[in-house]
Amino acid sequence: MSTTETTIATPVVTEPTELQKGSIGTSIPRKEDGRLVQGQGVFFDDIRRHGTGYVHFVRSPYAHAKIASIDVSAALALDGVYGTLTGDEVAIHTEPFFEMSTPPGAHIKDYALAVGTTRFMGEPVAAVAAATRELARDAAELVDVEYEPLDVLVDAREAVKDEIVMHEEAGSNVVWSGVFDWGDWEGAKAEADHIVTIDELHFHRFSSTPLECAGALVEYERGTGQWTLYCNHQMPGIGAIWMAPALRAPLDKLRFVTHDIGGAFGNKICLHPYYVALCLLARKLGRPVQWTEWRTDQHTANAHGNERWFHDVQVAVRSDGTMLGFNVKALDDCGAFPRYEPLGCIIWAQVTPGCYAWRNIRVDFTQVTTNKSPVSPNRGYSRMQHLWLTERIIDIVASELELDPVAVRKLNYVKTEQMPYETPNGCVYDSGDYARCLDMALELIGYEGIEGRRDEAAGRGKLLGVGIGSTLDSGTNNFGQSQLLNPELQFSGNNEAATVKLDIFGEVVVTLGTVPQGQGHETTASQVVGDILGCSPEQVHVRPGHDTFFNSHAGFSGTYASQFAVTGLGAVKGAADLLRAEMIQLAAAVLQAPEEAIELADGFARIKDGPEEAALPFMALGAIMNANNAFLPPDFNPTLNHRFVYRPYFGNVDLEKKMGKLTLTYATQIHACVVEVDQETGVVEIVDYAAVDDCGVRIHPQIVEGQVHGATAHAIGAALHEDFVYDEDGQLLTSNFYDYHVPHALDMPTLKTSAIESPSPFTPLGTKGMGEGGGGGIHCICSAIQDALRPAGKPIVYDSCNPSHRVWEMLQDPESTRANVKVVST
Amino acid sequence: MLLREVEYARPGSVEEAVELLAGHEGARALAGGQTLVNVMKARAASPDVLVDLNRLEELREISVSGETLVLGAMATYTQIMGSSEVQVARPILCEVVARIADVQVRNRGTIGGNVCSSDPTNHLPPLLLALDASFTIRGSGGERTVPAADFFLGVYMTAVAEGELLLSVSVPAAGNAADGFAAVTIGREGTCIVSAAACLGDAGTRVAIGCVDAVPVLIEPDGTEPDAVRAAVGAAGLDPPSDVHGSAEYRRHLAEVCALRAVQQASERGR
Amino acid sequence: MAEPSTSASISVEINGEVYEREVDARRLLVHFIRDDVELTGTHIGCDTGNCGACTIQLDGQAVKSCMLLAVQADGSKLRTVEDLANDDGPNPLKQSFSSHHALQCGYCTPGMLMSATALLEANPRPSEDEVRTAIQGNICRCTGYQNIVEAIVSVNA
Repeated sequence: MSTTETTIATPVVTEPTELQKGSIGTSIPRKEDGRLVQGQGVFFDDIRRHGTGYVHFVRSPYAHAKIASIDVSAALALDGVYGTLTGDEVAIHTEPFFEMSTPPGAHIKDYALAVGTTRFMGEPVAAVAAATRELARDAAELVDVEYEPLDVLVDAREAVKDEIVMHEEAGSNVVWSGVFDWGDWEGAKAEADHIVTIDELHFHRFSSTPLECAGALVEYERGTGQWTLYCNHQMPGIGAIWMAPALRAPLDKLRFVTHDIGGAFGNKICLHPYYVALCLLARKLGRPVQWTEWRTDQHTANAHGNERWFHDVQVAVRSDGTMLGFNVKALDDCGAFPRYEPLGCIIWAQVTPGCYAWRNIRVDFTQVTTNKSPVSPNRGYSRMQHLWLTERIIDIVASELELDPVAVRKLNYVKTEQMPYETPNGCVYDSGDYARCLDMALELIGYEGIEGRRDEAAGRGKLLGVGIGSTLDSGTNNFGQSQLLNPELQFSGNNEAATVKLDIFGEVVVTLGTVPQGQGHETTASQVVGDILGCSPEQVHVRPGHDTFFNSHAGFSGTYASQFAVTGLGAVKGAADLLRAEMIQLAAAVLQAPEEAIELADGFARIKDGPEEAALPFMALGAIMNANNAFLPPDFNPTLNHRFVYRPYFGNVDLEKKMGKLTLTYATQIHACVVEVDQETGVVEIVDYAAVDDCGVRIHPQIVEGQVHGATAHAIGAALHEDFVYDEDGQLLTSNFYDYHVPHALDMPTLKTSAIESPSPFTPLGTKGMGEGGGGGIHCICSAIQDALRPAGKPIVYDSCNPSHRVWEMLQDPESTRANVKVVST
Repeated sequence: MLLREVEYARPGSVEEAVELLAGHEGARALAGGQTLVNVMKARAASPDVLVDLNRLEELREISVSGETLVLGAMATYTQIMGSSEVQVARPILCEVVARIADVQVRNRGTIGGNVCSSDPTNHLPPLLLALDASFTIRGSGGERTVPAADFFLGVYMTAVAEGELLLSVSVPAAGNAADGFAAVTIGREGTCIVSAAACLGDAGTRVAIGCVDAVPVLIEPDGTEPDAVRAAVGAAGLDPPSDVHGSAEYRRHLAEVCALRAVQQASERGR
Repeated sequence: MAEPSTSASISVEINGEVYEREVDARRLLVHFIRDDVELTGTHIGCDTGNCGACTIQLDGQAVKSCMLLAVQADGSKLRTVEDLANDDGPNPLKQSFSSHHALQCGYCTPGMLMSATALLEANPRPSEDEVRTAIQGNICRCTGYQNIVEAIVSVNA
């Protein structure tokens, strides 16, 4: 069970508000659970419409090929087929999706279906709509596509040479490249006692594979040109920005409605190509259309997490282990189309130094396309890859210089006294105590007794290793960082919206701009509102899901990037504060008392310490405003219905120096684990695991712990099994759950968790977003495997994924991995 | 995910089943469906006729006849795990079957389906080869029994020809024999990457290795000492496939490791 | 003599109610449950029978309804997650799931509940290992299983 150590410092909030000792900080029963345990959740595939055309996509079997012709006649001839859609039609009826990057990436043409050329295996090239799912599938087989295969690029290191160019309009496979240079790397090199170089590290391609696949039911209303998408898009703000110009329609003609979503983890952000195809079909056929993605399609042709190579890593370090800086060439593989991913070229910079205080960092970053699935912001997005690099550096340097990895971390961690801490590129780590979290994690795994356990395991023929994964979950993006990518992008700041109203019968009703997929937004929002309005969370009704027609969203609305606790709840708090102020005003007018004498408590507005009669239930306030308002003075116009847009403040980003506050909050996760490696087979077993979390004020501690569990499970899966592997023809070899093994209940160790709370000084409630988790488990397991294998020739863990065959290879040939690393001492 | 159109028949007797299988081209037996339905979902194979064996209770019987344990082809893994006959006569079967897939699969999946699909990664082909099981097949021409050595012919190919039906699998009761099984899998108790089953009996040491060839490979080391086992594995000249889960070299190495572990497990039980 | 046919009439009892329908032979049981009978609590999460989101009880046993044809369910008694709501009084397993935060997005939950129900019917006080084995065929991507295991172990403890 978890042990929770809570240190609640006095929350520093930017606006004073009466936060009652109510429900915040308690793990109340979740509102969502009632319907979900009954099987009464409403997921998009549960919604039915009469006359629906079920859609099946015809997909390319080739990773790279010219489309010579498409013949849909046989499909159309099948009884029950309503219609088809091909790339030619898409090219006529839509604009290509807007590209975020500067040239050459800016010139890429990206459409809802492949137009003229197909660039990844599984890419949709045509669509068929029919009366039943089975018929659509049958008809898809009858669509005759002629391909002319082209040479295939599956390796970013080849793609960067531009010998085969995937997008003719761009003329290069390079989407973007730039150099980030902060501090004084050359000076750091000169000052160092040792330069440790690592030739190549690889962060692999995987994704969080949410259990519910993508999809939508799309209706088109002819008379108004209104599309309604019952769907699971987790960031409708950007979805609409991509889709509306492509469809040549006003933004408001796209209504996104979500209800329950079966997980997303960043894999439901780039659904716009599929959704545009569905919008076109709904309009063309004059009927609702429905598409449910299959698991194989999600693995092949939805989105992967981005894959990244790190080359020529150089680390400047003093003999006592003080890390002075590092220099690296990063090569990012974004698959066939960049889409959201150019932002990944920048977003890692939110955590440039990781958890450490080095001041001199140089990163030469290039992103290229390859003939593989496009990528999207998979859980941990871009920061996770960079944080993995920093943790690998710490462990490799500590190992090569024979230093204690715990001591090196503590020596170099940013100290709690330094917080808020400005990093070399102008980001501000708001709060945290990394060393303390590390101590807690180590205690949970019994670090003191590790050497004894190592000996005992060796007696059983097992190599025991202990590892640490320090990571940060940076939350609440400043989209101004997109201008570092492309100065012409009109994006900056961040926002989220919410509404709170008091209805005629005293019901408190909340709508959110966010798109929950299991994070318990209804519950935590009700806790915040309940505490502000002085009622129980049960009295607060939060409408499930997102609906464009709630008019409760802003440009960046969605649930992604670890920000709900700040932006979503910031908006909820803002709206609730406005409502509260009005309720007090109204009660004061009715009770004829000064506003300062009024309090909201127990579902009443009443005079503090006044007589019992001097109390108005919420229902009375709602009724007066809505239906009985004649007596109110003419200049007093309460609405009891408020919409608030929370906008975090970041200041501007310095485009020249590539510096600025790129994100608002930094949650900490420090992971520690013990593994046993079977020397004969390379199989790794996790025998002890601990994760310590610090996300500031926790509204609902059980929900926070649940996110830590989930992030750890994703990390363990990625570290030991999950790998999207392509052969040289660009065929995905791990396209289903047989070959792409995700952890089941027997694979997961018992997780020991603990937490501290270092409130953020920058957020309305002292909270920090924390859902992504920063990939701590991946860093930790790589660390533990390298430690375990030390007696067997000190191989270097060079890849983020270490299934048994790779571990065995490291055991067989540690020298090859060691050839990767050199220490030059001055 | 969505099957092609198919015809379905549900015979009430073994005779009817054989008649249907023999009488319709492209007819396949539907046993537990835990493999066949997947194959049909992927449209990798689309039989024209499915002959559902699930009402043929006579094919689910498990009995001991003299020194032989007879398992009906439609006996499910759950049934086998819970069978006192199997537990007493040849307990290794209960142990191995308990490691196949998961509870839901075990409730429907059958021993007949496992051996007839002859997927190189299946658990039962190497085990039954090591145990020297035999397979009783009914065709329109009559009944015959085939030893394990002649039953597995290739990937997805067995001695059960088109139009024929596997009736039962016969396994010698353990007697003095001691058995072992070792595998390296994808995740805990997942699909096998390499497996080995060992049987130390009066006839000597039999080790059958799975996942290294189209069919399980039988080796008969000179005794149970590790060197003897290694020599036998080496002499077998294994040439395993390379794939995402392991190179040929890795599999060859695992073959030796699993063979050694299976033999060791059997030896320890034999004492 | 049973002649092969591309469709068949079936009679299936689901959650105590009998449904008599004509179904295509190729129709998967999970699509019959979700689309024909319109019980949408049973979910689909993969296309190769791995994830277990479609788990129901068939004649008491936990099975994956995506790995059965609808025609095979003829004459059987099925129980889906919606049936747990019909129990007399609050269902202690579901309450345990909620109090232990054993669900986040809720997509795997119906399948988990059916596997857990089948387990607890046979073994009311399972050990942690027995629970993990019972739900090995139910994938969850949100919770890491820890709270699910605790929830099931706690029901009758």
